[in-house]
Amino acid sequence: MQRDNYKNERDKYFKEIENLNHPNETLVKTHCSYCAMQCGMNLRVNTKTNKIIGVEPRYDWPVTLGKMCPKGVTAYQQVNHKDRLLKPLIRDDQSLKGTKNGFREASWDEAYELIVKRFTDLQKNYGKDSVSVYSGVSMTNEKCYLTGKFARVALQTRYIDYNGRFCMASAAGGLNRSLGIDRGSTIPWTDVHETDCIFLAGSNTADCHPTMMFRVWGIQERGGYVIVADPRETPVARRADLHLDLKPGTDLALANGIVNLLIQNGYADEEFVKNHTNGFEETKELVKEFTPEYTSEITGVAPEKIIRAAELYGKAPNAIVMFARGIEQQIKGVDNVSAYTNMALVTGKIGRAKSGVATITGQGNGQGGREHGQKADALPGYRKIANPDHVKYVSKVWGIEPEEMPKEGVSAFEMFGLMEQKTIRALYLLCSNPAVSAPDQNYVREQMKNLDFMVCVDFFLSESAEFADVVLPTTTWAEDEGTTTNVEGRIIKINRAQMPLGESKPDWQIQIEIAERLGRGKYFSHLKTSKDVFNELRVASKGGTADYYGVTWEKIDKQDGVFWPCKDESDPGTPHLFLDKKFNHPDGKAKILALPDRPSAEVPDEKYPLHLTTGRVVYHYLSGNQTRRIQFLRDMCPEPFVEVHPETAEKYSIEHEEYVRLYTRRGEATYKVKITEAIRKDTVFVPYHWGHEKSINLLTIGALDPYSRMPEFKTCAAQIEKMKTRAVQ
Amino acid sequence: MKKRLYLELENCIGCRSCLAACTQCGGHEERNRNYVYDVNPLLNRQTMPLMCLHCVNPACARSCPAQAIQIHETGAVLSALVEKCIGCQNCTIACPYGIPKFDTEQNLMYKCDLCIDRSKDGIPPMCASVCPTNTLQWLTDDEIEAKQKQFNLDNGKWVTSLPYLEGETNVKVNLPGILQGVTKLF
Repeated sequence: MQRDNYKNERDKYFKEIENLNHPNETLVKTHCSYCAMQCGMNLRVNTKTNKIIGVEPRYDWPVTLGKMCPKGVTAYQQVNHKDRLLKPLIRDDQSLKGTKNGFREASWDEAYELIVKRFTDLQKNYGKDSVSVYSGVSMTNEKCYLTGKFARVALQTRYIDYNGRFCMASAAGGLNRSLGIDRGSTIPWTDVHETDCIFLAGSNTADCHPTMMFRVWGIQERGGYVIVADPRETPVARRADLHLDLKPGTDLALANGIVNLLIQNGYADEEFVKNHTNGFEETKELVKEFTPEYTSEITGVAPEKIIRAAELYGKAPNAIVMFARGIEQQIKGVDNVSAYTNMALVTGKIGRAKSGVATITGQGNGQGGREHGQKADALPGYRKIANPDHVKYVSKVWGIEPEEMPKEGVSAFEMFGLMEQKTIRALYLLCSNPAVSAPDQNYVREQMKNLDFMVCVDFFLSESAEFADVVLPTTTWAEDEGTTTNVEGRIIKINRAQMPLGESKPDWQIQIEIAERLGRGKYFSHLKTSKDVFNELRVASKGGTADYYGVTWEKIDKQDGVFWPCKDESDPGTPHLFLDKKFNHPDGKAKILALPDRPSAEVPDEKYPLHLTTGRVVYHYLSGNQTRRIQFLRDMCPEPFVEVHPETAEKYSIEHEEYVRLYTRRGEATYKVKITEAIRKDTVFVPYHWGHEKSINLLTIGALDPYSRMPEFKTCAAQIEKMKTRAVQ
Repeated sequence: MKKRLYLELENCIGCRSCLAACTQCGGHEERNRNYVYDVNPLLNRQTMPLMCLHCVNPACARSCPAQAIQIHETGAVLSALVEKCIGCQNCTIACPYGIPKFDTEQNLMYKCDLCIDRSKDGIPPMCASVCPTNTLQWLTDDEIEAKQKQFNLDNGKWVTSLPYLEGETNVKVNLPGILQGVTKLF
């Protein structure tokens, strides 16, 4: 195998800077609680009160060099926030479900007793699978791993899935299919500014992953090119050399069109294609149809822009294709990922430094959290529950018989369908807020309301907690330690800066204590610390695709993180994938895939003539349960809005900052209009960080990608209506 | 080596991390002291920070009848001294960039002091530390000179920098247009 010369070399942006140390304070190095950039930061802790009181940049973290977005700067304000849940809450009156009312404080013992009684009763009457677990990936690998084990071994249910279905599932599906492995990035992020052309598809990089922006601008500073495919002129699209302003939901055609031009114009790397890929000829045939004109007809992007994009990407000595939720949250998300990956495979711009493919992971541990078995079909180390050998290995690690391993479950959104059918009657929800984040909210909220019993584990009373019978207070990220796996596939260490507030406990501890009360303690009681959990995860992942066996907390500290796979203690990890041009399919070759185009689940028509697309603003994170409580972030962006092109606004006679009714076949909501030319005339955009009546997910569609089961958040058909005048009220 | 705040306006994405970080500086009483503007919000997403430029001969200090605005030996123009400021707001009118802010409750002007507790020891101010886009940088004079060369268009001008508005400033600014001087790789 070719040696990876990558060391955590200090790149050109690195500066030796000493931190400011205030008197009576100590600095605890860690990473941000939010997105997968996992920016390095120091938390300032008062040594007299032992409380976190602020943040100090972590200049020596090689990926982000002290940089933070406004969420990162203020992240510490979650920890001692007045809204923190400090004791377990129980609600006795079920008729109050769906509201904030009726909760009373209870002891952990009483809460546990109730949970165990209700889960046990339901499982006795309706079978083990009547209890489900719905998890998330904004938490450490240790917690994600243990949640999978908790569901399968303690609750013995097949129904566990996680919010990565709304986030990374399509990227995972597409990368697995094309490359045989799902590590979100084939390169470390310190390569980004050194490439010659970056192709960003469906990534609002500036708002969603701001701390990589200095590297993106760095490409242009060196004379390289930035190409952005996005229906909106986002801040990165504004300065891009080329903005492909496509209609929402037409990425597959655009990618096919570019691949066609790459092949037609001689940019294919024939040697690479012949030796390291399959499927070139079929793909060449299929994409022939996607001439610039035909592609333009589907996508709405001018033919000359498509030609220029192919030319720039084709000519660039090194190039990186990156994509994010814009292309992934579609019913053809998996195909979109593979289609854009085709660009790199056809031209051989993968498997070397400064060239490759990456999905820009959303949640903090979106990568690690999907590798270790809290996905309906997965077991630790990226093993599959459908594979008897995998089940055998993991069963042995867990100390159960392979026959005891529950079968594959269903995806997150499909779990609501099973709630409707009463197949699922109870829910243990943690680290997620589906009452804001799931599509088709009217439907989802109804199913949560009809559950026989629901537990919500969170550190704030989220919109989803309003449907719970029991709410358990967990810790924030800064009150526990463990690892996450960042956007690059680099495993990093989160450190504890403060003891848990009130009676809150880390999720892993809560799960062990419930397991013990369910009589399953022998599988859990040996785990006394999160480090014990990590060490079990190492063994459970050993030999799997995502092999963490060689990763230790000490190694992470010593070498500023460890890139998986890392097979043994002497293995420094794998920053660049495929340097030996060996892909992870059995024959060592990558797959160039012939992917026929197809329309979105819902396309605009006479009654609903606009594309509705959703996304984020820089000031908020996911469902907003954390960031909407932070004063600075709330001041900067207090409420959702609908972006409308001035010509469209004129057509509907609506004005800037006027409130309008936006509706689809599934629901409606009222939003303040933000007029901007930075959006297509046929498209409106609303950010999704708000709940209750402000949630744009009241309007979005629950149509799923057939492979990844990811909902199509990024496009559906909508209509705007001017509000009735005040006189009518 | 002495370092200065250097602004490359073209890089700004409007995240306002600089303002969030400003509230985190020990001496800032959790109030942010600078500005980020949407240049033309109805048109596009262009934004730009407006930071105190720390004039060598600052109009704010000159206009102060109470000598409440001191200039630190590093050149940083400090926030008004609580015991001297009489709340006349002359400085807010005198400043050509509209930088000083006024707290009506405290009857006190407050402004950017370049995080003097940090910058006096060469530690970058909070805004330049966190800026995700390198719009705000903390550079030596040599590094700023290199920038000047990088953006030189052979016409004797640093293409994107304007002549001084009010007078010489300690903070150096590069206006939008930095990419004009860049030669494309291919």
